[in-house]
Amino acid sequence: MNMSLELLLATPFIGGLLTYIGGKVHRWVRNIFAVLFSLLTLGEMSLFYNTTFKGDVWGSLFGSKLILQTNPITWLFLLIVTSISLLVIVFSVDDMKHEEDHIVLDSYYMQLLFVEGAMIGIVLAGDLITFFMFWEIMSWTSYFLIVHGGKKSMDAGYKYIIMSIIGAYAMFVAIAMIYSKAHSLVYPDVALVLSQSSPTFTIWIIILLGVGFFVKAAVMPLHTWLPDAHSEAPSPVSPLLSGVLIKMGAYGLFIIFYGLMSANLAKNIMPSIFSTPVLLYIVQWLAALSIVLATFLAIMQEDAKRLLAYSSISQIGYVVLGLATGTSLGVAGGLFHALNHAIFKSLLFLAVGAVIYRTGTRNLSDLGGLVKKMPFTFVALVVGIIALAGVPPLNGFVSKWMIYEALLQKKEVFLLIMAFVGSTGAFLYVYRLVHSIFLGQLSQKHENVKDVPILMQIPMWVLVIATVIYGIFPGLAMDVIVKGMKMFGFAPIAYNLYGFPQGSTMGALKVINIASVLMISFVVAWIFFLLFSKSRKVSQYDNYAAGQVVTPELKYNYSFGFYMSFGRVIKPIFKISIERIYNYWVDAAKIFGDYYMRRVYTGNLETYNSYIVIVVTIAAAAVLLGGKIW
Amino acid sequence: MVKMILIAIGAPLVAFAIGLSFMMIKRKIVARIQRRYGPTIIQPIYDVLKLLVKEDNISHGVIFSLGPIIAIAGSILAVFFIPMAGFSMLTGSGDLIALLYIMAIGSLGMALGAGDSANPNASIGISRALTLMFGYDLPLVIIVISVALQYHTTNLSDIVAAQANGNWTLWTLPLSAIVGFVVTYGALGEHPFDIVTAPHEVATGPMVEYGGKHLGFLMISHAFHIYIEIALFVDLFLGGASNILIFYLKMFAVFFIMIMFDEVLPRFKIDDAVRFYWKWPTVVALISLIIVLVK
Repeated sequence: MNMSLELLLATPFIGGLLTYIGGKVHRWVRNIFAVLFSLLTLGEMSLFYNTTFKGDVWGSLFGSKLILQTNPITWLFLLIVTSISLLVIVFSVDDMKHEEDHIVLDSYYMQLLFVEGAMIGIVLAGDLITFFMFWEIMSWTSYFLIVHGGKKSMDAGYKYIIMSIIGAYAMFVAIAMIYSKAHSLVYPDVALVLSQSSPTFTIWIIILLGVGFFVKAAVMPLHTWLPDAHSEAPSPVSPLLSGVLIKMGAYGLFIIFYGLMSANLAKNIMPSIFSTPVLLYIVQWLAALSIVLATFLAIMQEDAKRLLAYSSISQIGYVVLGLATGTSLGVAGGLFHALNHAIFKSLLFLAVGAVIYRTGTRNLSDLGGLVKKMPFTFVALVVGIIALAGVPPLNGFVSKWMIYEALLQKKEVFLLIMAFVGSTGAFLYVYRLVHSIFLGQLSQKHENVKDVPILMQIPMWVLVIATVIYGIFPGLAMDVIVKGMKMFGFAPIAYNLYGFPQGSTMGALKVINIASVLMISFVVAWIFFLLFSKSRKVSQYDNYAAGQVVTPELKYNYSFGFYMSFGRVIKPIFKISIERIYNYWVDAAKIFGDYYMRRVYTGNLETYNSYIVIVVTIAAAAVLLGGKIW
Repeated sequence: MVKMILIAIGAPLVAFAIGLSFMMIKRKIVARIQRRYGPTIIQPIYDVLKLLVKEDNISHGVIFSLGPIIAIAGSILAVFFIPMAGFSMLTGSGDLIALLYIMAIGSLGMALGAGDSANPNASIGISRALTLMFGYDLPLVIIVISVALQYHTTNLSDIVAAQANGNWTLWTLPLSAIVGFVVTYGALGEHPFDIVTAPHEVATGPMVEYGGKHLGFLMISHAFHIYIEIALFVDLFLGGASNILIFYLKMFAVFFIMIMFDEVLPRFKIDDAVRFYWKWPTVVALISLIIVLVK
C-alpha cells in the first residue's frame, strides 16, 4: 500500500493544527508554519505529479470502502488548489497584519490550511463518502474564512452556508439513494448501478447531485450567495473562493457527467438536442445565461470586488458550458478554462486586495490615478484583465477559443452567440476596473500611497508569469488534460505546444506567432516613436477643461456610473431578480413560522404541558385498549 | 525567406497606404458634397507629418505615451491576419474568431492611454466607445457565425478561396452582407455613429489630451483601422481579390458608399445606437443565420 496520497491529504490538516499551536508561541512561528506547510503540500504534489494511483483504501464506513485515487484530471485540479493556496497564504502574511486579535489570526491560518486540505480531499476522493465528507469540511471552513471580513461578511457568510447546506442535503439524499441500491459508494460501483437502474432513478440522482455542485459553482439561478460572499470576505480569501473553491463545483460536475455517468448512458436514457442529452443541454443554457446576465451585472457594479465576483459567475459559466458540450474539444476547453480562470481571477483579486491594503477602499469612484503610485500592481491587474477579456496572447483567450470552436462544430449557435456577448461585455467591466482604480485623476488623499510590500508582490509576479506561459504555450496544460480525458473515454484532440492545427478544429491557432508578431510590431512602433522629439511630462492638473483651470481641490474625473447610458439599455432585464424571488420565499417561510407555527409552539409552558398530557393520554388509552404504540 | 521578409515589411506599408489614400479621398468627396473645393488631396499627409515633427510634445505619463504605440502595434498585428490580395500571410496561425479578439488589442491599448490622460472627456469617450462596440458586436458575431457555418471553416483564406469565380457571400447571404456593412460602418465611427469622438459633446473624446507626435501616431493608426475594417468586409463578403488593384477597387467601392451615408446623417445618442444595433441588424442577422442552418 502506498501512503503518498494519505500524506498529501494529511499535510495541510496537520499543518493547520501546528500553525494554530505555533501562533500561541509567536506570530512569526505561526506565519512561517503556515507558509512552510502549504509549501510542503505543493512540494508533495509536484513530487507525485502525473503518476496515476488506481485506488488507495484508507478506511471503510458502512461497509463501503473509502478510497483515494488520482488521474491526470485530479492532478490538474490539485495543481490549482495547492499553488493558489500557497500564494494566498504568502499574501496573507502582510495583508492580514492589521488584524490585532491574535486568536482570530491563528484560526484564520488554520482554516486556510483546512480549506486547502478539504479541497485536496475532494479531488482525491475515489468514493462518494470521502467526497461528501471533505465537501462538508470545505463548506464549513470556508464559511469561517468568509466571516473574518468584518461586520457585513456575517450576513454574506450566513447566506453562503444556508445555500451550501441546501446543496449538501440534496447531495446527501442522492448518496443515500445510491447506497440503498448499491451498498457501495466507490465510483465504479456507482457508475455500474446508474447504468443498470431505471432512467428516472438515474435522472433524479444527477439532478440532486447537480444541485449541490451548482450551488458551489454558482451557476444561475443558484448563484445569489457568491457576489456577497466573495466581496465581503477578506482580500486574500477572495482569490481562494473565486479561483479555487468554485472550481470544486465544476470538478463535481465533471465527475457526475463523465465519471459516474458515461456519455453513452446519458444518450440512452434521455432524448438529445443538438446531439447533446437533454439534461446537459439544459445545463448548457443555464451556463450561457450565467455568462450573459452576470456580465451585465458586473458592468453596472460600483464596487471593485463585487465586480470581480459577478465576473466569476460569468467565467464559471464558460467552464460549465464547456464541460456540458460533451465533445472532446469543449470539455478540454472547459477544464483548461478552469485552470486559466483560477490563475487570472486570483491575480485580479490579489491586485485589488493590494489596492485595498494601501487605500482602504474598494469603492471604484473613490479611487483613480494610482498607476503612478502603484506601477507594479497596475501591471499585474492589466495582465489579469487582458487574460479575463480573452484577448490573445494571454491564457484566457485559448480556452475560450476552444469553447467557441466546440460550440461552432456542434452548430449550437445561440449558445455561441451568448458566449461571445459575455466576452465582449467583459471588455466593458475590465476597462472600468482598471480605469477607475489606476487611470484618471489621482485624488489628493492618495498622494502618499506606495506600492505593496514584496511579500504581497511575489504571489502576483508568479501568477503574471503563469498567465503568460499558459497563454503562449497552451500545450503544457493540454498534455495533462488530453491524457486525463482519454481515461474518461474521450477521443484525443490534435494539439501542439503552441496551439491547434486545423483539423479537429475549424481553424488553426498558433499563439506564439500572434505573441511574437505583436512584440515585433510593438518594438518597431516604439522605435519609430522615439525618432521624434522627446515629450515633456505635464502634471494631471495641466489639462483641457474648456478654459477652466483644474486645481487639486476640483474633482475632475469621470468614474461614477461609468456605463450609465448602457445601463438604460439593459434596464428592462434587471426587473427580474432571482434574489428577490428567493427573498419572497424566505418572507413566506417567516410568515408561516410567525403566524401558524406560533399557534403550536407558543413558547408558553402551560401549552407544552397540555401537549404532553394529551399525548400521554392518547398513548395510555391506546395501550389500555390493547393496541401497540410501536 | 526573402519573400516572407518582403511580405512582413510590405503588408503593413500597403495597408497604411490604402488607409491613408482613403483619408485623402474622403476629404475631397465630402467637400464636393458640401459644394466646397476642399483642401488639396495630400492634405492628410501634411497633417500627419506636421504632427510628427512637432517640437513640443506633452505626455501625462508612460501609459499615456504607450497608448498610441500599442494602437499601432495592434493594428499591424491585425493586418497580418487578414488575407490581402492573394497573400494569406498569418491566417494559418489564427482564424476568424481569433481575429475578432486580435482586432481589439489596438483599441484597448489606445483606451488605456486615453484613460491615463486624467481628463473626463477622454474617459467618457472610452465609455462610449466600449458601449458602442458592445452594441455592434452582437450582430457582428452572428454574421461571423453565419459565414463560418456557410463555408464549414473559420480559416479566412479558405473562406476567400471558397468565394472564387464570383461566388461571393454577398450573393449567397445577402442579408448577412447588409448587416456586415452596417457593422463595419459603426466600427469606423462614421455618422451617425461618431458618438465616440463627438467634437461638440466631449471635445474629440479619447483624443482630447493628445497632440504632437502622439496625435500623429493616432492618425496613422486610424488609417490602419480603416484598412482593417474594410478589408475584413471585402474578404468576408466580396470574395477577397487575387491582385492588389482589384482588392483596392473593391475596398474603395465599399468606402465610397459609406461616405455617401456619412455626410447626410445626424448623430445617435449612445444608448439609441446600442438599441439600434440590438434591434434591426440583430434580427436580420439572425434570419440570415437561420437560413444558413436550415439550408
